Amino acid sequence: MLVLSRKVGESVIIDGQIIVKIVRVDGEAVRIGIEAPSEVPIHRQEIYEEIQRTNQEARTSGRMPLPRLAKPAAPSRAAPTHPNPA
Amino acid sequence: MSTEPQNISAPGCQKLHFPAGLLGFERIKQFTLISRQEESPFKWLKAEHDETIAFLVVSPFEVLTSYAPDISNEDAALLKLGGPGDAELYNIVTLRRNGDSSVNLKGPIVVNRHTQVAKQVVPHNASDYSVRHPLPTSD
Repeated sequence: MLVLSRKVGESVIIDGQIIVKIVRVDGEAVRIGIEAPSEVPIHRQEIYEEIQRTNQEARTSGRMPLPRLAKPAAPSRAAPTHPNPA
Repeated sequence: MSTEPQNISAPGCQKLHFPAGLLGFERIKQFTLISRQEESPFKWLKAEHDETIAFLVVSPFEVLTSYAPDISNEDAALLKLGGPGDAELYNIVTLRRNGDSSVNLKGPIVVNRHTQVAKQVVPHNASDYSVRHPLPTSD
């Protein structure tokens, strides 16, 4: 791993297009700003890994028997994103 | 219940483009969303060029009617969403044989229904939701 020292307000630039700037240091917390092309996904590592693990566990060959879904507890509302209105 | 192709009706197929793939599956950019009436409200998200990769998805509102992920401006811009009506939401289901199935509400898939461009996003309020939200089953 490359390790560099930077002061508040200083940056590193990665691959000519991604800028990581030290915005503030407050005790053990470092606030960083990242400028990257919009198609470059940026995630907090622990959240990325949690979702990655969940995706890997959820992966199937598409041939599983499906459970029957119960109605959710709260009353249904007209959701504009509902793909299959009953 | 069998899901063998020869036993079921002709499915609805919708091709989706994921410029960033799914988290952990970044190289797969093209998926097909397959809907069959007898499997509703579930749909299958299948990798277009790899028959061995499929995810079961469901509208989150079938699971939690109050679901309200706070999508970042960057993600909305990337997907060119003008408003909530432009988006369809799907969440990935983890099926477990012991019946302990769950839905990932922390990493929803947002689809622009006009362009078919999609992304698995991490909403600002992701900490309000679980990657293992219990799937409410009736059997």
